[in-house]
Amino acid sequence: MVTSAVTTESQSPPRAWPRALLLLGRVILGVIFLVAAFTKLYFNGGWHLGDYHFFFGMAINSYNLLPVWAVELLARGLPWFELALGAFLIIGIGLRWSGIIASALLLIFIAAMTRAYIMGLEIMCGCFGNNEKLGPWTLVRDSSMLVLALAVTIGAFLIKKRSAAISS
Amino acid sequence: MKPPPMRRIGIFLFVMAFATISAVSARQQTKTTSSPAAKPTMVALDPSEAKSLGSKSAPITIEVFEDFQCPACRNFYETTVKQLIDDYVNPGKVYLIHRDFPLDMHPYSHQAARLANAAAELGQFETVERALFDSQDQWSANGKIEEAIASTVPGAQMKKIRDYQAAHINDINAAIERDRTLGVKRNVSQTPSIYVTSHGKTEALPGGGVDYKLLRNYLDYLLRQ
Repeated sequence: MVTSAVTTESQSPPRAWPRALLLLGRVILGVIFLVAAFTKLYFNGGWHLGDYHFFFGMAINSYNLLPVWAVELLARGLPWFELALGAFLIIGIGLRWSGIIASALLLIFIAAMTRAYIMGLEIMCGCFGNNEKLGPWTLVRDSSMLVLALAVTIGAFLIKKRSAAISS
Repeated sequence: MKPPPMRRIGIFLFVMAFATISAVSARQQTKTTSSPAAKPTMVALDPSEAKSLGSKSAPITIEVFEDFQCPACRNFYETTVKQLIDDYVNPGKVYLIHRDFPLDMHPYSHQAARLANAAAELGQFETVERALFDSQDQWSANGKIEEAIASTVPGAQMKKIRDYQAAHINDINAAIERDRTLGVKRNVSQTPSIYVTSHGKTEALPGGGVDYKLLRNYLDYLLRQ
């Protein structure tokens, strides 16, 4: 009796809502990263593809965390990295890895922001554009994004595991 | 080989998201070019120009909205502005304009701004600005500004500044208010707030001060354009 119930459940088609939920979560997260990249390249009323890194570098440097050469490197690369990560999340390429990287990135951002906030630095967050002040709201917002990134990562792993179990 | 259905939905959503962001940016760009108020602001120079350093014909203009009692402004002045004056203002590459933005949270910043404005009208702005920032710790504690800057600004000079201030107090207050109004118009929310104008376009730098090396890189980039 028990055996037949288990057999019936394992043969039933996978439910659609966990996948739909994962799709929704990853698209929201992906769009957030796309917007973050966009606001670093388009500001003060125009595109800054040639000089965005000067402005973003100034915002990063205000955290007093990295040497200038590292600030310049990060300022040049991070917007494009966020753009690629956003695209990967939305398209669903390497979703588990994309989720892990997004979570790790957000964790690093939150750690740096919390440190600056505790130190009382009156600086720009540098999260969405270069002229957004760091404060409790930016911390709460980025923490919510981290929760979403973790949920997407865990969801991606669970669905992959379930798919593997069904196919085997 | 066709991608799996979820991947196809993802590609579709990515294209949609990218198109939406591009459309929003294009719309904003159209707005900025069609509405005069949203155009990149041109520098509206103060007629007195008394609080500026360098040549007006310099290829780059930097405006700094400052509060003399703000520690971040002092830090910016000491670590960035002094070098900027030596390397860019004096050689004629940058025209540096001081804009007053005294914050209400600082009890003596209005007093310091009035003194600096009076000094500016007498051609002593650079000396008094330097003295105010160098001795900020001292006068911030007790409000005795003249006493704190006495080592840099001699008694006779200070008397002239004091007399000028007394005689032109309304003009001085109006000049400070003009700067403040300009700052409010530009959404200045903290000091120092820095605006760089080059090739007819004004860019706001991230607020709160800028490291000299990064500013130098940006200015060199603008000079190469």
